[in-house]
Amino acid sequence: CSTSEVIHNGYVIDKQTLALAPVGSSREQVLMSLGSPSATATFDTEVFYYISQTRKRAVAFMKPTLVEQNILAVYFNKDGEVDRLANYALQDGRVVDMISRTTPTGGTELSFIMRLLKGGVNPAAAAQQLLGSNQNRRY
Amino acid sequence: AVIRQIDVRGADRIGSETVRSALTIVPGKDFSNADIDTSIKRLYATGFFSDVRVSVSGGTLVVVVNENQLINQIVFNGNRKITDEKLILLVKSKPLGPYSESMIEADLQSLRSAYADIGRSDVQITTQTAPVGNGRVNLAFVINEGDRTKIDQINFTGNNHYSATRLRSLIITKESGLFSFITRKDIYNEDKLRADEESLRQFYYNHGYADFRVLSSNAVLDPATNEYVITFDVDEGERYTFGPVNVESTVEGVDAAELQGLTESREGKTYRAKDVQASISEISKRVASAGYPFARVTPRGNRDMASKTISVDYLVDQGERGYVERIEIRGNTSTRDYVIRREFDLSEGDAFNQEAISEAKRRLERLGYFQTVNISTQPGSAPDRVVIIVDVVDQSTGTFGIGAGYATGGEGFILEASVEEKNFLGRGQFIRVSASGGAVTRNYNISFTEPYFLGYRLAAGFDLFRNENQLYDNYSYADQGFSLRVSAPINNDLSTTVRYNYKEVDYTSDNIRALSQPYQEVVKGSPWLTSSVSNSFNYNTLDTAILPHEGIVASITQELAGLGGDSEFYKLSGKARGYYTLSDEMDVVGSLSAGGGHVLSTTGKSLNVFDQFQLDSDDIRGFSDTGLGPRMRKNDDPLGGTTYFTVSAEVTFPMPGVPQDAGFRGGFFLDAGTLYGNDVKIKSGKPPQGVDMSLRASAGASVIWASPFGPLRVDYAVPFLREDFDIVQRLKFGISTSF
Amino acid sequence: CTSDPDLDITKLAAETDPPEQLYNEGLANLNAGKTAEAQRKFDALDRQHPFSEWARKALVMSTFMKYRSGDNEGAIQNGTRYLSLYPQTKDSAYVQYLIGLSYSKQIPTVTQDQRAAAKTIEAMLKVVNDYPKSEYVDDAQTKIRYARDQLAGKEMQVGRYYEERKEYLAAISRFRTVVEQFPNTNQVEEALARLCESYYALGLADEAQTAAAVLGHNYPDSEWYKDSFALLQSKGLAPRENQGSWISRAGKKLLLGES
Repeated sequence: CSTSEVIHNGYVIDKQTLALAPVGSSREQVLMSLGSPSATATFDTEVFYYISQTRKRAVAFMKPTLVEQNILAVYFNKDGEVDRLANYALQDGRVVDMISRTTPTGGTELSFIMRLLKGGVNPAAAAQQLLGSNQNRRY
Repeated sequence: AVIRQIDVRGADRIGSETVRSALTIVPGKDFSNADIDTSIKRLYATGFFSDVRVSVSGGTLVVVVNENQLINQIVFNGNRKITDEKLILLVKSKPLGPYSESMIEADLQSLRSAYADIGRSDVQITTQTAPVGNGRVNLAFVINEGDRTKIDQINFTGNNHYSATRLRSLIITKESGLFSFITRKDIYNEDKLRADEESLRQFYYNHGYADFRVLSSNAVLDPATNEYVITFDVDEGERYTFGPVNVESTVEGVDAAELQGLTESREGKTYRAKDVQASISEISKRVASAGYPFARVTPRGNRDMASKTISVDYLVDQGERGYVERIEIRGNTSTRDYVIRREFDLSEGDAFNQEAISEAKRRLERLGYFQTVNISTQPGSAPDRVVIIVDVVDQSTGTFGIGAGYATGGEGFILEASVEEKNFLGRGQFIRVSASGGAVTRNYNISFTEPYFLGYRLAAGFDLFRNENQLYDNYSYADQGFSLRVSAPINNDLSTTVRYNYKEVDYTSDNIRALSQPYQEVVKGSPWLTSSVSNSFNYNTLDTAILPHEGIVASITQELAGLGGDSEFYKLSGKARGYYTLSDEMDVVGSLSAGGGHVLSTTGKSLNVFDQFQLDSDDIRGFSDTGLGPRMRKNDDPLGGTTYFTVSAEVTFPMPGVPQDAGFRGGFFLDAGTLYGNDVKIKSGKPPQGVDMSLRASAGASVIWASPFGPLRVDYAVPFLREDFDIVQRLKFGISTSF
Repeated sequence: CTSDPDLDITKLAAETDPPEQLYNEGLANLNAGKTAEAQRKFDALDRQHPFSEWARKALVMSTFMKYRSGDNEGAIQNGTRYLSLYPQTKDSAYVQYLIGLSYSKQIPTVTQDQRAAAKTIEAMLKVVNDYPKSEYVDDAQTKIRYARDQLAGKEMQVGRYYEERKEYLAAISRFRTVVEQFPNTNQVEEALARLCESYYALGLADEAQTAAAVLGHNYPDSEWYKDSFALLQSKGLAPRENQGSWISRAGKKLLLGES
């Protein structure tokens, strides 16, 4: 059996229902057929984005690599009807290396010792391990 | 209505000020009947008043109360097992709080259940009061703890396929025995009994008994002996094997035939609920990755009484389309958010897939960082959106151990101290520092593992070690170094590890002339350096780690030394051990194991002594460590060998005539093996003995004790096939490991 | 194990020292730094003269001392008991404020459960709403902002977790939560910059430009704006606000200062 695994993220495109949201259909019709969008704008003259990604993971421990990404953008005009549909695929996307800086946050950090004491010592496990480890000596 | 002032009567002890502050009515401000109601409720809520009457006459609000007696101090007398501090938390009555009959009755009940939880359900608790003047009274809970309530026997009726001892080993509740005061496993409580029923069901469902039912389970307390007798009445039903298995799909685009191969439950195999569960998860994983994440897989088993088979149909149908809006992680006071979130294969915004969630729950529980893991869902902001709530309760994963041990073969008594943390700083990392020493040995070890190295599912880590051993006459041995390792899962049972090892070996001797020539050279040339790379494959399907009943554990390792250092060799070694339950009724377990290895120099030059294999008393019982194999005649210095084979057959059974709870098992075994071939250059002196292959074998008996400190083991072996220069050691006592 | 001695309750007469003396002794011990002794005095006062004015003051002091000695749970319990016994007194504001402080001391780093942050906000809001004229209102507000920064920080933490894995959909919804629900926290600049990164990676140029434009409007000299500007620049794009996008609406809210 092949160890490679395919993972689908985000919106699941369904060929038939795509046809149910042609240009001119209303917002409710789009919501009914395509379901609630992945990223939206809440006000009227807005855009619905249906984002879906597909990844492949060659072997169980590897990071999945992005193999396919497409975004269906549904643009609405003033009176809430679809006036154009657009499709963005993986090649429209660009590789971004994230800024490594992060905004500082607060909060107290539990130190190692405090964690050990906070949890208390459970005697059975400690004793269990006491004799469990002295048999693997090799010369 | 509006009042000008409030007149409080009868609150001489509590003070009218407090009564006024509890009212929601203030002079000069308008108020309604509702205000009167809330004020009365608030006064009662304080618990200080047995009666409250509010009335309005003229411009004044009249509040008449009569006060409960007040508790001045609370004392617990006669409690030994539970401290006052813990008891005060259990009772609602508080110093300075009201003295009310109903509250004290509730306190008595919660105290009794606290004592029942620690196994003293026959505790007697009474109360005493002593007035202290102006309406205040001291309250004492007088506790007569009685002695521990034991469990005399646990019986089973209706179990004709599995013996009572076998079933008793499955459940948590145990009969009282020698060590119950440490293990505390003989304490009866209701939910432990429910958990026991569940483990019985799981056991039978996984051994073919699909119709198994626990008819009743009850515990009868005999007040005279203060002991419980627990009886489980079970109906095993028929033992089924799998009938025809097929997959049906109502989702177009999903081809059922292609999924057929994924089912674990193959026709003819004994029915096991585990296999059905595994098949469901495999099929739904395949269907999800084929682009149908909303599909649901539901099993339907139909029994055929005549042939005692269950045919299982897996129905794949379209679930409703729902998406995960958010994954909320709560309760993680020490484990970090990403350590939990990374166990989910699905992310926010993905299709909702119940199987992926149960898989994440199993993974989180397997981590061992949490007492409980509950995953629930709540409706999201849109009808097709769901919020997943992950509630975890962290548990202490650190252990600080100090202990003593004893091992035959000259090491004698050993002292050990260790600190281990499975979830270091909540980052999911493992760290362990340990030091141990005996009369002749010293061992120090630090090991660290990061399970998700750089975001990959790779467990990377390092070990630092130093071992000293003066067990031998005329020379002592020490080694130290480190190893860097990365291991990766291939599937649930198989994983592979790549390791770099750097080891300095140091032989010292204060009487070098007594040593044989190779050892003299080794001492003169010390310290030596071995720098090698190794790769191993580990396979493990044991059902439990301690005293397994079925499954196979095996590993094969190859090591190449020569990246610098003084050793250049290629070493291949492997070991496998399989367990099989010979008789379920008598709980007899057989196990077969085989091992072997070969080392050869990669440069044609000869090997060093410490490069060659050594066998110890675990590999072949009846012989001491380095007791067999090529050996110099002078000082009996062991040279080790280039090739070894070991084979062992063993059968274990519950020790007859010993109370079952003590966990004693007897066993017979037959070990055989050989260590031969020498590649160490011998410049002078008589040639070593035992270089050519000769089979050694021994037979013996052992006693295994599943003590609360881990399995202890005593083996007595008589070697019946041996060389006269081998070193025999018939008795071996120490810790038994399953591999 | 040591067991507690049995006491004969008949002899346990109610010791009655004058309340004022107990209170002053407690205060003296506190000033001398002997907190344990002071605590015992205040507890004795609480027990012997329940509901007296002195007992009420003692309860305030013992709440303060538990908070200062780091026993946050104890301080919260005492504080809540005080507020249930004496709801409208001149010290109620201070005690409510102490409860909020105790919760704020328990706020863990953003990778852990932020329940304590939510509790801090709840307690401090009571200070602001129930006791608007008390002198603790402005520090209560700083604590609320600090706690909201923490909640926003947690959203960002999870957002970055998803962005690192290129799961931009999940990342965008987390960063969006920060921009919409926590606009006046210190995290909003980074949230906008991360939104710009994520939309850009998806190829939705106009959303990326809008995010950068709103960031520019509100925080022109922010480090984050420089990064987003550079990112768009590298592909020949410039921050240009697409009026219709939700970000510009949220951005306007920032400008007008409504929160």
